[in-house]
Amino acid sequence: MKRIAVITTIYRYLSHAQHFADRFLVGYPKEGSWRRPDMKVVSLYVDQKPEGEQSEDRAREFGFSVYPTIAEALRCGGDELAVDAVLLIGEHGEYPTNEKSQVLYPRHEFFKECVKVFEADGRAVPIFNDKHLSYSFEKAKEMVDDGHRLGFGVLSGSSLPVTWRLPDVDLPLECEVEAALMVGVGGSDPMDYHAMEAMQCMIERRKGGETGVAAVQLIDGEEVWKAGEDGRWSLELLEAALSRSDTPCGLTDEDGRTQDMIGNGEIYRLVENPSAYFIEYNDGLQATLLMLNGAVRDYCFAAKLKNESVPVSTQFFLTPTPNVTYSACLIAKIEELFETGVAPYPAERTLLVSGTLESCLTSRLQEHVRLETPHLDVEYRAPAESQHARW
Amino acid sequence: MQKRPKIAAIATIYHKYSHTQHIVDRFLEGYGWNSRHHHPPMDLVSLFVEQVKDNDLSRDRLERFPTMKGYPTIAEALTLGGEELAVDGVLIIGEHGEYPSNEKGQRLYPRYEHFMQIAEVFEKSGRGVPTFNDKHLSWNWEWAREMYDISQSMDFAFMAGSSLPVTWRTPSIDMPLGVPVSEAVCVGYGGVDSYDFHALETLQCMVERRAGGESGVKWLQAYRGDAFWEAYHSRLWSRELFEAALCRSHTLTPSRPGFNNPFPTLDELKEIVKDPIAYQYEHNDGLKSTMILMNGLVQDFNFAAYIGSSDEILSTQMYLPMPPARTTLANFFSPLVNNIEQMFLSGEATYPVERTLLTTGLVAAGVDSLFAESARQETPHLDIAYQPTESSTFWRT
Repeated sequence: MKRIAVITTIYRYLSHAQHFADRFLVGYPKEGSWRRPDMKVVSLYVDQKPEGEQSEDRAREFGFSVYPTIAEALRCGGDELAVDAVLLIGEHGEYPTNEKSQVLYPRHEFFKECVKVFEADGRAVPIFNDKHLSYSFEKAKEMVDDGHRLGFGVLSGSSLPVTWRLPDVDLPLECEVEAALMVGVGGSDPMDYHAMEAMQCMIERRKGGETGVAAVQLIDGEEVWKAGEDGRWSLELLEAALSRSDTPCGLTDEDGRTQDMIGNGEIYRLVENPSAYFIEYNDGLQATLLMLNGAVRDYCFAAKLKNESVPVSTQFFLTPTPNVTYSACLIAKIEELFETGVAPYPAERTLLVSGTLESCLTSRLQEHVRLETPHLDVEYRAPAESQHARW
Repeated sequence: MQKRPKIAAIATIYHKYSHTQHIVDRFLEGYGWNSRHHHPPMDLVSLFVEQVKDNDLSRDRLERFPTMKGYPTIAEALTLGGEELAVDGVLIIGEHGEYPSNEKGQRLYPRYEHFMQIAEVFEKSGRGVPTFNDKHLSWNWEWAREMYDISQSMDFAFMAGSSLPVTWRTPSIDMPLGVPVSEAVCVGYGGVDSYDFHALETLQCMVERRAGGESGVKWLQAYRGDAFWEAYHSRLWSRELFEAALCRSHTLTPSRPGFNNPFPTLDELKEIVKDPIAYQYEHNDGLKSTMILMNGLVQDFNFAAYIGSSDEILSTQMYLPMPPARTTLANFFSPLVNNIEQMFLSGEATYPVERTLLTTGLVAAGVDSLFAESARQETPHLDIAYQPTESSTFWRT
């Protein structure tokens, strides 16, 4: 039975640590049955313990120990590494933000503590890192490089790439993508990250595989609509993405009606401060993330493929709270990593998205200039088999 | 070029989140479909609304869509004020509105009464046109059967039912055509004579694809409260299938505080579900199906069945993007309207109305069994055999 250490910022109801780690304790729904992983949480490190947090309760009920340091958690209080896998959840909790409004979660610091133990004890085990690797590309890269250097599996990222899709589609492997667009909502930097990774998990399947990002630009406000009129992003793809939304606001909120939000102009009225994240890839592909708070409340993708008249589009289905069964889809991937030692899809995806997002936020800070990003020459291949929930 | 069909809508009431609003709005405003904002290639030209109250939206819609006219009677809506039938398709939306209930708790929606007025115009005009009836045909079995028989004898396309058979599924799978099915369950939620119908349609759209097709139903027995738990304990239905269905839910009520998604123990189930209901019935070919309403535990419709020669479990959720808690649009009406559009264009129902004739009878039998304190209802009248469509008709694109 694999032994797991949980390294987290905070363990309270509906924090990522709670709904991820709990699934290893009480099981989770998978392909129509209740899956109880053949794994045991043996140790926990938690950075912040505000009132009402659950770490001690869980430790007592499920028979593991809470340790005061990461090294002790990984060694279970002994002299050497005593776990077979690490679940690293650096999400939620009180942490400062920087000038780019990125929350400075200590994922890199936690990860490096693990690596120190691996190096000292001469053995490395797989690590799952929740969400983006770090707010800093440099730090994120160090984490992925550590995995390669010491030969341990690293899996990272959001639940969006692996949740249900409405409809259940994936881009055909090696297809030729002419343009891609993603609609997201929520704050920066948590939710733009999710949306960007959802887009990345689709377009990485294009012909030639992922080639890295050459340049980015982030614009805000009315300029976003003007860029659409000028053809910098595709209105056709926005219509395609919106055709998958279940949550148009405005008139739909008022009287339930369906609406063509572009045709009736409501989208321009509803979104007070739109943002467009332009991503230029090394192979020439142009992708755009539109953050459209006020217009919709879900995450939808569209792409124009060569020789296809109708765009491909889908919604990444964020299932309801509190079950958030989309995180169960991710747990299945983590279990696979822990069981086999091999990540079911490359951490380079999350590395690239971490860096692309950071550069977009730098563009915003530097008066929305276009930034060349030679450091983002992250190349990788998507797994041939689709990884999202299909069964 | 084919001329655009003219459609009449006959409704009980038109307010926000009424079925009329969901269906008629999609004809008027269009809806998201296959990467486009799709406008049905037909014109909704006439509207009859039986109840107009303070929250009415029909006046707003008539004003904003002048090509649609309101009529004071069903006959006039169908003849557009003239002498003869003047439309190419009819929508009957008899759901919501203030109507009395009978002693068995059935809401007496006037679908049959509306249908009969429509049939009278068809009769006088010497022709019928494709007609869609929202939800079950009638609360009254005899009337439902009469509606079906009239559609057969006048030979017009007739479709009916729920959105459940056509909405998204997670996962996006169908019952393989022609596979043996030995037992099926649906675990859903909602009330008697309302959401039980949706759960029965969920079951039926799957099991009708089994080897031999649908053979009709011999008997039905309902269980409620303590009788439900007794039946549960004596394993009248498969506990394994019941649990498989729960494992497809996205809305399992947490059975313990502080946990967001634990699987409930039996004791916890009993604590959470105060008024469980099941309708179990046997089909003529021996298949047993069980419809279960677990109010308090789930807020979605989940299906599981033993299929094939080795009783493999097939399970899925029929997903309803349901406003206002989860969405703003009830987009499960989009595939329903899309199927209706196809019928109006082709003159052929895209799936058999016999499915809904059967589920209408099952709802009535369920209500009767509950009213008769769980007495088993023999259902020789539900000897309704039919074949499913070969291709899947749920939302996949």
